[in-house]
Amino acid sequence: MIEPGVLHIIVPILIVACALLVAILKDLIVAVISLAAMSLLLALEFYLLQAPDVAIAEAGVGAAISAAIYILAIRATKRR
Amino acid sequence: MSKIVRTMSSILSLFIFVYGSYIIMHGHLTPGGGFQGGAVFASGVALLIVAFGSQNLHKSLKEHHLSILESGGALIFIGLAFGGIATVFFYNFLVGSPIFGHIPPPGPNPGDIWTAGVIPFMNLAVGLKVIAGLSAILLVMALATTITEVEE
Amino acid sequence: MRKIAMAASLSVFIAFLIAATLVIHPFGYPPSQMDDYIIENAQSETGANNVVTAVVFDYRGFDTLGEATILFTAVTGVVMLFRRRKKE
Repeated sequence: MIEPGVLHIIVPILIVACALLVAILKDLIVAVISLAAMSLLLALEFYLLQAPDVAIAEAGVGAAISAAIYILAIRATKRR
Repeated sequence: MSKIVRTMSSILSLFIFVYGSYIIMHGHLTPGGGFQGGAVFASGVALLIVAFGSQNLHKSLKEHHLSILESGGALIFIGLAFGGIATVFFYNFLVGSPIFGHIPPPGPNPGDIWTAGVIPFMNLAVGLKVIAGLSAILLVMALATTITEVEE
Repeated sequence: MRKIAMAASLSVFIAFLIAATLVIHPFGYPPSQMDDYIIENAQSETGANNVVTAVVFDYRGFDTLGEATILFTAVTGVVMLFRRRKKE
């Protein structure tokens, strides 16, 4: 078993790594998927901080709806 | 999308809809509420849009029906808020009455669905509003981007 | 002259941020009595076991009304922006 104190260190590092990947990556679709992964890890961190309401909202809106809207907006642009 | 994706998403979306409805209706007992359950429900609609295509889904799900549903949710919410205007705005006037009026014992307890007065109705109204609003946004954006693809 | 003013205002802003971070109260120890009142009386006053929902829909109902208005405005704007034109 992993202790919760260790998870409080691992999960924010993963969140920052995913956020850096969003800024670094050139492919827009991969960047959106990395953003969704960051949002899901953020929901996990909210759950670890004992806020399950915010975790459900973040997982629903951040990981599903906003990723879908970003992908729809990218589909409307032209790829060079 | 292929037939495998369509079959799996049509099965899976039912479970997502049931889970979203559970989060909305048990908002006064478990974590969650109208906004969270509506977001989960709308993610199921997003899955259906991705799997079946927005043109096919638009045959059974029109955006003006969704906007009527959203305005209805907002009207129910404001009407329930005006229901307690005899005391203050947003007064919980159903506590103690026979409809959803039980008062739970203080302290941690497993809870009872027949409690909390006006809060389940407000959860339902906000849930309807969020479901209709997010589904309308996704459907309209998907339709608009498909049409630009066809025109090219 | 303009650069000096900009640097001065920026340093004042950064100092304000650092001071606000230093004087913020510690995590998990709020200084107000309102939360104690809500935790004590939410179950008997609203009948909801979930105190967060009781706060969102009963004690702070105006906040939820504002949130609903924001969502309504956003949906109206998006539907107006992406309204399909009739084919001419």
